[in-house]
Amino acid sequence: MAGAGGGGNDVQWCFSQVKGAIDDDVAEADIISTVEFNHSGELLATGDKGGRVVIFQQETENKSQPQCRSEYNVYSTFQSHEPEFDYLKSLEIEEKINKIRWLPQKNAAQFLLSTNDKTIKLWKISERDKRPEGYNLKEEDGRYRDAATITTLRVPVFRPMDLMVEASPRRVFVNGHTYHINSISVNSDNETYLSADDLRINLWHLEITDRSFNVVDIKPANMEELTEVITAAEFHPHQCNTFVYSSSKGTIRLCDMRASALCDKHSKLFEEPEDPSNRSFFSEIISSISDVKFSHNGRYMMTRDYLSVKIWDLNMENRPVETYQVHEYLRSKLCSLYENDCIFDKFECCWNGNDSVVMTGSYNNFFRMLDRSQRRDVTLEASRESCKARQVLKPRRVCAGGKRKKDEISVDSLDFNKKILHTAWHPQENIIAVATTNNLYIFQEKVN
Amino acid sequence: MDVEAKRIMALSISKLYSLRTQRGGLSLHRGLLLSMTMRAARDIYHTAQLLRDAEEEQVVPCVPDAAIEELMEISKDSPQTSTPKEVAMKPQEPKETLEDDKENRCASERHSRKRRCKTAVEPDFLPLKEAKMDTDEEKQHLQGEVLRTNNGNSCRQAETLTAFPTNRAIVAC
Repeated sequence: MAGAGGGGNDVQWCFSQVKGAIDDDVAEADIISTVEFNHSGELLATGDKGGRVVIFQQETENKSQPQCRSEYNVYSTFQSHEPEFDYLKSLEIEEKINKIRWLPQKNAAQFLLSTNDKTIKLWKISERDKRPEGYNLKEEDGRYRDAATITTLRVPVFRPMDLMVEASPRRVFVNGHTYHINSISVNSDNETYLSADDLRINLWHLEITDRSFNVVDIKPANMEELTEVITAAEFHPHQCNTFVYSSSKGTIRLCDMRASALCDKHSKLFEEPEDPSNRSFFSEIISSISDVKFSHNGRYMMTRDYLSVKIWDLNMENRPVETYQVHEYLRSKLCSLYENDCIFDKFECCWNGNDSVVMTGSYNNFFRMLDRSQRRDVTLEASRESCKARQVLKPRRVCAGGKRKKDEISVDSLDFNKKILHTAWHPQENIIAVATTNNLYIFQEKVN
Repeated sequence: MDVEAKRIMALSISKLYSLRTQRGGLSLHRGLLLSMTMRAARDIYHTAQLLRDAEEEQVVPCVPDAAIEELMEISKDSPQTSTPKEVAMKPQEPKETLEDDKENRCASERHSRKRRCKTAVEPDFLPLKEAKMDTDEEKQHLQGEVLRTNNGNSCRQAETLTAFPTNRAIVAC
């Protein structure tokens, strides 16, 4: 069913595929660290802690068999980043892929940006399905022919071969960041992109690797005065002069690059006053924003903090227009979550194609679909138990306290090691990719 | 309340230490959140302790001002004001590990940092090893103005910023 991805709760989600190893013994390198659809939704890229990128391609739908939903199969796998060592600071640089962002397609090849903590790379993924044969000076295996045996000339011709997908690094953007890169975002002008670390945001040109322009710098003169860091940044989907960045204090700043070259002064500051009744030792931590995403239409932005998702209207700075609780039952458990470090987990969030539904992950391999238009929400689970083809996902419920009903799971039974941090929604269809620790689940809308 | 505060404080310190040995280098974001939580817990714990001491000594009118002064001094980590009973911690020390500019680190601090890493014991209170180096900068803090320099980190014109104390915990009663 084509369409821009309608209501999340009228939609019934069913299992489509799962990628990754089945066994419970998870190798650290296989832990998925980022998931991203390209602009058409035909390609789905994942990055992992081992520095690898795996790209899946959607098979062309079989029109004669509408029941058979198109599947995603491995298209290309390559090692994007390797572990490095900074000798000056005696620090190891992890190869973990923090973010992948696709460039809009301009020709037959596909381009994506992938980044670890320090280095951003532009990768070209191209197909080769022909090869030249009939060289005059070389044999087919590459050995040079004896010149004495050449008596005639021929023109080499292209002959078909098995499809080969090649990934090659076209640009490597180094030494732009002192701190750990948390975000990259391609500008709508298709020429520039931004990269953000804890304290600075740089603007790069896709063609120029040896320099970047610093647009935001929040590093204080004395690091002891440091009170907040940048946690995420994104360009506006249509306005090439506008970007936003979120902070660990729960604020979002919108910057206009036309106002000044250096965007230390924001154009807009989005901040909701804290509810004093909720104040605790951990208020600072849970208000830190882990992700910020513009809506496709560019009128709204969504932020994710530890317990909630907020939708902001770009024209209203003093409070969000909508707030959704992701897992409010965790508010009383913050101390335990601080002990086991789960309170520092950075959940991402995403919009569906027509901005009517948003999705984010939680613990116990649960993920939440929040329908904005119908003001309803549902909790679903990505688990091996519901892996039968086209099996419809059943809504899950968590019992916060008191008597546990049938089919409910109590808060204390939740597995906090099973967390869904990364999710992605196909830009046009109701197809979602949900990453558990080392598996990628693909769910699709049930087609009758 | 202060038992909880002390526990969170100790937990935060041990997490800050383990942060240093993590692969990939120190995470500035997490270090900041940990030290903020640690300070909040520490301030509440110290206030509770001081109030308890005050009750014991029956010096009610003078103590609140002294307590507030103590808190201010302790949060700036000046060793002269640590009371004989409590051993002041080094809240600035984790911050200094976050600092990128090597020139601000003194050799003895580096030495003591090395030593600490060898011990695997979860610290409760840390003894104050050496006096705070940057007393001049502290005076600037108290005056409330800091000249922003870029230390060669960016090609920016320096601007004057007014620093305001943001690390005062709200003492909950």
